Amino acid sequence: MKPLPQEIRCKGLGVSEGVVIGQVLRLHDGTQHVYHLKIDEAEVEKELRRFRNAVGVAGGQLQTIKEQAEHRFGQDHAYIFDAHQLILEDKKLLADIEQEISGNRVNAEWAIKVVGDRLLFLYSQIKDNYLGERVSDIEDVMRRLLVALSGKATSNSELSQEAIIVSHDLLPSAVAELDLEHARALVTDTGGWTSHTAILARGVGLPAVVGLRDFYRRTKTGDTIIVDSRNSEVILHPSATTLEQYRAKSVSQSEARVGSEPPAAGPAVTKDGTAVTLRANVELASEFDSVKAFGASGVGLYRSEFLLAKRDGFVSEEEQREAYEKIARVAGAEGAVIRLFDLSGDTFREQAQQLEKNPALGLRAIRFVLANEEVMRAQIRAILRASATGALRIVLPMVADVSDVRRAQAIIEDERKKLGTTTTVSVGAMIEVPSAVFMAEKIARIVDFFELGTNDLVQYTLAVDRGNDEVADWFRTLHPAVLHSIDHSLKAARNAKIPAIVCGEMASTPAYVVLLVGLGATDLSMTPAAIPRVRRTIMGIDARTAYQIVTDCLDCATADEVENLVRDRLTHHWPELFNSTNLPARRPIP
Amino acid sequence: MVERTLLIKAPLGLHARAAAKLVRVVNGFESSVTLRRVDGSLAADAKSILDVLMLAASRGTNLQVSVEGEDEDRAIVAIEELFAAGFGELAPESTL
Repeated sequence: MKPLPQEIRCKGLGVSEGVVIGQVLRLHDGTQHVYHLKIDEAEVEKELRRFRNAVGVAGGQLQTIKEQAEHRFGQDHAYIFDAHQLILEDKKLLADIEQEISGNRVNAEWAIKVVGDRLLFLYSQIKDNYLGERVSDIEDVMRRLLVALSGKATSNSELSQEAIIVSHDLLPSAVAELDLEHARALVTDTGGWTSHTAILARGVGLPAVVGLRDFYRRTKTGDTIIVDSRNSEVILHPSATTLEQYRAKSVSQSEARVGSEPPAAGPAVTKDGTAVTLRANVELASEFDSVKAFGASGVGLYRSEFLLAKRDGFVSEEEQREAYEKIARVAGAEGAVIRLFDLSGDTFREQAQQLEKNPALGLRAIRFVLANEEVMRAQIRAILRASATGALRIVLPMVADVSDVRRAQAIIEDERKKLGTTTTVSVGAMIEVPSAVFMAEKIARIVDFFELGTNDLVQYTLAVDRGNDEVADWFRTLHPAVLHSIDHSLKAARNAKIPAIVCGEMASTPAYVVLLVGLGATDLSMTPAAIPRVRRTIMGIDARTAYQIVTDCLDCATADEVENLVRDRLTHHWPELFNSTNLPARRPIP
Repeated sequence: MVERTLLIKAPLGLHARAAAKLVRVVNGFESSVTLRRVDGSLAADAKSILDVLMLAASRGTNLQVSVEGEDEDRAIVAIEELFAAGFGELAPESTL
């Protein structure tokens, strides 16, 4: 008998929430070894026909992709495929490739590679940021041509119900082509939090773990796999014990997703009567439906920079106004919080920040908008005008202290006067860098609300880049320093009698939610799909016990101590809610 | 042949979307259309998106546009309109 394959656990980055058990479907990303073949004079015509045929096939695929993308992700996401079509129709490109085939008598694959590489080299010589993006578009089109030549279909219409897509690298067009109805999760070797794949996966609520480096080559189609994006982990060939542990977890997840019963709405109330408002984070139009579907109390965080990401860096005031009005309508009576453009090197590479040595500490977020005042003013006008439709609030990303807030407030007030509107819009501050935490009391006195961005708060408090695998062990959400920062910020808000919304990964993860409730958080914003499980968690706990647990956590010296404490106390108090699958894993003692 | 020097007003210059728009418009005419940086450093066939992108023409760049062919008069009008409108990327009331 063949021995059972060994369980393989691989750590990556969970970029879209969820836990899924299923079968691997390997998806080739189109990169293939291209062989150089010399062809006879007589074969040139045949090779040219083969090439033109492939262009036709690829063109047809792109047309379908474009239409699907328009339908699924909205017109705004589809334009990139229009550029792909134009590249494929580019007469000079086609003529160059044909010239390579007939002039040098090589096979079409080799000709595409030679011409494509030459083009990529030329583009890489140009010192212009936005062209960097175009290189991946050219690669995407070249790969499509090569796959079309190989005669392999790239469409995945025959996905089984269980398919978990595993790929080395998923290009935007490949994601758009996926049969998302039947795909259960995405797993890739490359990519990060803001890669296109990650954004699209979050947009359609598909669990995804990326950045697994050399995972793809270890898999076979049909292998059993567990994708646990909450733990940023995939498990190949899971053992019977592991499967059992995960089944319970996965079932509750899928219930949450399918939502057979109408979702509970309104605040979630703990057993001892603390009401917690649950809001939705949204970035894409395709997520708007999920705000109501998952019972969210409005939109707690609208990441407005995604308007730019999908529009190649430009969106007019009118387009913004329309987008914000739509958000206001989706959010309903509870309203929506619009975060001003949080542009940075990693969310928006074609902007100038690419040249910064250290974009995370550079001209980003509130600094970027203050430095580009016209951009900011147009956005403010759009929000002010849209606020006639429904309740909108503005939140200022990454403020360092009151001076950032005052400058922004002056501009908002100025635009309000110019518009001659009497409507006022609440203005809040994102608390996500240590200086803002230290200065929280002062900031709280001059803003209408706080919003705690826990992802950035962890990153900046611990000085650990969340996207850098090398320091993944230092990225510890449950570090006592992080808990103290949250505690301090929430206290400052309470003392100033202003509300504080907590967002980020902490707000969507049950074990962390217990600690947040213990720290007195009563307003959480998260990815819509997480709302049912957070609601269940809050309804199953009591705030008094949560407070005792977190008080002990604040006394800990290390993240390990906090994690151990959380694991023990949560399973002790609420065994029906917590088990080893949804608690931080015990770390091997070094 | 008709020639004009036209200014790029689109906020992000001739980026992918603006370039695509230009190529689509130019492809509707018989005439050949060439874009040149006024310093003479680069020229592009406006019917090739890869060529147009290679110009890396940012906002504020002046481009010399040469149109040659039977429908050159109609073509230059359409191209001028497109440049004037910032490739449809200038907001009605504001420019980002």
